[in-house]
Amino acid sequence: MTGGDASRSHVDVITIDNLVKRRGSREILSGISFRARPGRVTGFLGPNGAGKSSTLRILLGLDRATSGAALIGSVPFAKLPDPLAMVGAMLDGPGAHRARTGRAHLRWVARSAGLPRARVDEVLEVVGLTNAASKRVGAYSLGMGRRLGLATALLGDPEILVLDEPVNGLDPDGIRWIRTLLRERAASGRTVLLSGHLMGELAETVDDVVVVNEGKVVADGTLGEVTGAYRTLEDAFFALTTGAAS
Amino acid sequence: MTVPPATRTRGREAAQALAAELSKLATLPATFLTLGGTFVVNLILAIAFTNAGLRDSTGTRSAPDIGLASIGYGQAGFVILGVMAACSEYVGGQIRTTLTAMPRRALQFTAKHVALAIVVLPAAAITAASGVALAAGVLGDTAAPVTSGRVAGALGGVTAYLALTTLISAAVGALVRRTLAAVVVLLGYLFIAGPLLRDHVPAARYLPDSAGFAMWFPPAEDAGAVTPVHGGLLLMAWTVVLIAVVVLGYRRWDV
Ligand SMILES: Nc1ncnc2c1ncn2[C@@H]1O[C@H](COP(=O)(O)OP(=O)(O)OP(=O)(O)O)[C@@H](O)[C@H]1O
Ligand SMILES: [Mg+2]
Repeated sequence: MTGGDASRSHVDVITIDNLVKRRGSREILSGISFRARPGRVTGFLGPNGAGKSSTLRILLGLDRATSGAALIGSVPFAKLPDPLAMVGAMLDGPGAHRARTGRAHLRWVARSAGLPRARVDEVLEVVGLTNAASKRVGAYSLGMGRRLGLATALLGDPEILVLDEPVNGLDPDGIRWIRTLLRERAASGRTVLLSGHLMGELAETVDDVVVVNEGKVVADGTLGEVTGAYRTLEDAFFALTTGAAS
Repeated sequence: MTVPPATRTRGREAAQALAAELSKLATLPATFLTLGGTFVVNLILAIAFTNAGLRDSTGTRSAPDIGLASIGYGQAGFVILGVMAACSEYVGGQIRTTLTAMPRRALQFTAKHVALAIVVLPAAAITAASGVALAAGVLGDTAAPVTSGRVAGALGGVTAYLALTTLISAAVGALVRRTLAAVVVLLGYLFIAGPLLRDHVPAARYLPDSAGFAMWFPPAEDAGAVTPVHGGLLLMAWTVVLIAVVVLGYRRWDV
């Protein structure tokens, strides 16, 4: 772990505390615990079906945990007074109705937080969708949908970003751009939590790594600590996840 | 350490949620396609009913009665609108954006229904009035005389009925989450199950459809009939109870 500040209560620390989720008779999360801290990019890594999206959905108040807690600072997401200004979230898919234009989508989200229209044009510019803003979301490519999801997450200029597989579907330019964006936000003291399957491009972006497999955390620490004796994070990842599976 | 965001008052949060839900409805092409389509279809049906009324020498030839007869079918458009307003949340994973932006689910759900009522009330009034105006115009001097109070009452009743039916449809849509399934359930009730029950079970007059029809159909002669005002109160009670029950589930379930 990263040392002494684990007990300090920041308003923008994400705390996942012994999360259990059962669906029917299956336990898909079996006591997940970790923290994502301000000023750091935390990578939440694991193979398909490990429980990453399930954990993030509970963190965002979309699903209910069977037991355990997921907190933003000291409160659950649903208790945040102004959620858009505190947490920007992107889950899989654009999160937008295909019949609406990208701009119309961002506008209703902006209205829900009383943000000015000009902010919509700003985030469209940031994610490079200005020229596609009047197109229907249904006509967007995979990468454009991801960019719209990112624009939605950035709308309230939040303290915390929670991104489920943000690089999925992005082209190399897009990956480089998002990496810079995430590093800048962490450098300005904000919290970034992102999930992924472990790729080379993430290894250069994250400070802290939480590896999850079959609903359990199998490694948690700084990038250096988790990579440890292995040659690369990728080697560590395969050793940790295939080891736990057998 | 960062500064906590300024807190919003509940009133401000509710106003913003309403603005967001109105914006969603206004930018969904299906909203105005459905309302426009319903208006046109209802008018065509009203023409047919008016022509039938002209040929019928024994009928009363009341402009409001003939002009509103088509609403029995036109209400299907409002059912579809309500269902689509609710089920469109589940297209493209939009519900997850909705609930991360507005995590107080009961507030968001209420805002959505209020927004829907705001959009539907004028549309319903225009649709209903167009049929009556058409009937009055075509029947001309042959129309049975009616007081303007009777016309206003019938139009008000129909408008309220259509708005409440739209809200009930939205609540059912939120429960079922699938457009086609919800539309089939609602139209099956309105056009098949409802009429069957009405003919065989006396207590069926208190069900939403019969109570709603009492809001604008000419009151029946027998003493036990539901009056327009009672019908309106009954349908409003059905709507509020249904929305409240769906909110109980909506607050808890996984999206
Ligand atoms: N709505 C659901 N109903 C039933 N099971 C589900 C549901 N969502 C997820 N699961 C199950 O929970 C487990 C964890 O899924 P989850 O989507 O959290 O994994 P993930 O780590 O995000 O995987 P991926 O890398 O493929 O996105 C999987 O076994 C999946 O089948
Ligand atoms: Mg996932």
